[in-house]
Amino acid sequence: MLALDLFVNGLIFGLFYALMAVGLAMIFGVLKVVNFAHGEFYMVGAYTYVLCSMKLGITPWLALPLAAVAGAALGWTVERLLMRPLYAGYSSWSIMKDEYAVVVTFGLSLLLINLVDKVVGPYPYRGPALIETSRFAVGPVMLNGQKLIAAGISIALLVGLALFIKRSLWGRQIQAVAQNRLGASLAGIDATRTTSLIFAVSGLLAALAGALLAPLINPSPDVGAFPAVKSYVIVVLGGMGSIWGAMIASLLLGVLESFFAVYVSYDYRDAFGLLILMLVLIFRPQGLIGEKGRDV
Amino acid sequence: MSGERNLWSRRLALDLRASLGVVAALAIVPAFVDSPYWLGVLIVSVYFALLALGWNLLAGFTGQFSLAPAAFAMLGAYTTALLDYHWKVPLALGIPAAIVSTALLGWLLGRVVLRLKGPYLALTTLSFAEIARVVIGNSYVFTRGDQGLNVPALFHSRVGYYYLFLGVLLAVLAGLYFLMRARAGRFWLAIRDDEIGAESRGIDVVRYKTLAFALSCAICGLAGSLYGTFSQLVSPELGLLLQTGLVISMVVVGGMGSLTGPIVGALIVYLASEWLREVGNIQMIVFSIAVILFARFLRTGLWGLATRAP
Amino acid sequence: MSLLRTEGLTKHFGGVAAVDGLSFEVEEGEIHGLIGPNGSGKTTALNLLSGFLAPERGRVWLAGEDVTGASTVALARRGLLRMFQMTRVFPRICAFDNLLTAGLARGLAESESASRADALLEELTLGPVRHLDAGQLSGGQRKLLEFGMCFMAPPRIALLDEPFAAVHPVMRETMAGFIRRRNQQGHTFLVVSHDMPIVVELCHRTVCMNAGKLIAAGPTREVLRHPAVIEAYLGSGSHA
Repeated sequence: MLALDLFVNGLIFGLFYALMAVGLAMIFGVLKVVNFAHGEFYMVGAYTYVLCSMKLGITPWLALPLAAVAGAALGWTVERLLMRPLYAGYSSWSIMKDEYAVVVTFGLSLLLINLVDKVVGPYPYRGPALIETSRFAVGPVMLNGQKLIAAGISIALLVGLALFIKRSLWGRQIQAVAQNRLGASLAGIDATRTTSLIFAVSGLLAALAGALLAPLINPSPDVGAFPAVKSYVIVVLGGMGSIWGAMIASLLLGVLESFFAVYVSYDYRDAFGLLILMLVLIFRPQGLIGEKGRDV
Repeated sequence: MSGERNLWSRRLALDLRASLGVVAALAIVPAFVDSPYWLGVLIVSVYFALLALGWNLLAGFTGQFSLAPAAFAMLGAYTTALLDYHWKVPLALGIPAAIVSTALLGWLLGRVVLRLKGPYLALTTLSFAEIARVVIGNSYVFTRGDQGLNVPALFHSRVGYYYLFLGVLLAVLAGLYFLMRARAGRFWLAIRDDEIGAESRGIDVVRYKTLAFALSCAICGLAGSLYGTFSQLVSPELGLLLQTGLVISMVVVGGMGSLTGPIVGALIVYLASEWLREVGNIQMIVFSIAVILFARFLRTGLWGLATRAP
Repeated sequence: MSLLRTEGLTKHFGGVAAVDGLSFEVEEGEIHGLIGPNGSGKTTALNLLSGFLAPERGRVWLAGEDVTGASTVALARRGLLRMFQMTRVFPRICAFDNLLTAGLARGLAESESASRADALLEELTLGPVRHLDAGQLSGGQRKLLEFGMCFMAPPRIALLDEPFAAVHPVMRETMAGFIRRRNQQGHTFLVVSHDMPIVVELCHRTVCMNAGKLIAAGPTREVLRHPAVIEAYLGSGSHA
């Protein structure tokens, strides 16, 4: 039945979106800035996976964690080199904080896209699938093997992340810094190191999303643009900074898009997400789930 | 800047003199350069200079960091092109129509994003820009989608176009100078520095913000429309986020919050882009690094460097 | 004649009444104080009076005109100006331009604004720093600048939010002198402050709030001797 099929596929894509969006939500929760290079973490993950398995002959199952590592390394480096001025005591920056974040992450995005374009080439690659089964039926729904495995891994990662944040020491430090940076450092938490960790985790998740989807969506250097935009939509929908909000909004967007593409218009499916973004920002900037920030 | 030179009226006067100097230098270029290719490159850089000035009005002077300048250039270009394509409207009407349509849309967008700041504003304007681009790109019946539309030319002399663009640049520069010198300019700066403080002093923030949006988008729309008649082709690629990225880079490198900065930034970035294209197609890599470095270490850009107190 | 009057002003935050049925009036030509311990609702009251918050109940009159719920801009146009606890100036333009812009905002022509700005800079001893960006001034200088911006065009009433907080004694004297001089010229002030000696020195009449409610009103010295006020400050360990 078509509707069920659309629903399940929508959910699966929602899971992938969640991997992307959750990292972005974390960054926003802590720094209150949008990372416009987030799509490139995804792209780097996809390319690492593809190049490792195709050029270096590494088995895809090993290329996955390699992609994760690449993403984490990139995230950590970006934070270390570029993001410090936003909070490491540079008081005169308070005036230009938002502009700085936009300009710098935008520049970074352009840099990464063009570097990859130059070094690897602009043509799309096809990533090897993790398992070679193609379509098969699970109940009334048609799936393919890669999607199923990718979905499974995504669920595992998201659950793992949730546990990490809730239970581990690092996770609690992240929560503390997100709520009150100054307070957290006064309590002895190394806020800077925690922020590096957040960027690393964000990069890792996005890179894995890219790697998992590489066999399904042939990566080219600007492959990160659309997932990035979707992430913004999700982060805003879920309430900027709320991880749970991002997860729920991801699934919601995945399903909505899936139905929209078939029942309304395939071409405009990406614009659909953007329209939602605009409407939410205008009418309910705190998102569907987030809390209203205070003004003045 | 030190001493008296830091007064806004003085700063602006110095700024205007410098920018007029740049325009004057550009005006005599055709005496030395007659390669149509390089004239064309300069024309495109003046196109970008206009976009940069328009965006700087909104972001550098009024503090509204919009990600839609290229989208408005595209909208202006398409207004003129569609009027010609469907209804054979002559350019003498089509170009002013582009100014009006983008001014209105810009004003509307400004009203819609009134209460938004920082990343929220950036994301909303980005969505608007992308939606506009996707809609134009997909409305094949109305706009011929990705294939673009042909636009008639105003005249067939490249030198003519060169002076046309330069003339428009001069006019926009003069207009901006008079506005920034007057009440509007000071209110825009106040809004940029402290919107709440501005309100509490009696500045009608709603009116001035939407005015800034309208003007900024109209400048971008005019530039786009003229560019369309020059290249005789408009396509949704005019509105790519990449183009906005270029504009932002130009203003950051040149110096936000001035008149000369955006112009100089546009020239340098675009000319360098052409040169780098010949050298090895690494122009975007170089710019993005330049943008990052400038944003990180030289926030006030080249103009800020040039006018820094000794 | 009552210049600023409010009756029954009420505002809740999350179930707690920050301001509860506040009613008082400020006469033209006086310096009126608003005191109360931390958390008593003084700043909320000020926000309500200056258009930053809309009241749930109650009314506000400015010179007889009902301005309940009017926006900050509308109130500023009618001459109700407010100074903030965290000084708000325009950091990226110079001190002179800050004053000039404030004058333009109040409807003055540029030349008039410029000459008044010069006069105010002298009066506030800010002459030497007139060309510095406001963001580079010291905290005290910024406070003085904010005063100046308020007085570019005569306000009908100036609401001052903790103007003497964290200001060093010499600056405090300059500011108090400024307020007194302007008051002698007929300007009206509502001053929210913790600084008791200054309140006694400057304010003719005062109201005291505690837990959102008005607990005393009248000539300053009497209010400060009022038992409810003393208890509110020394407290039985309670605060709102």
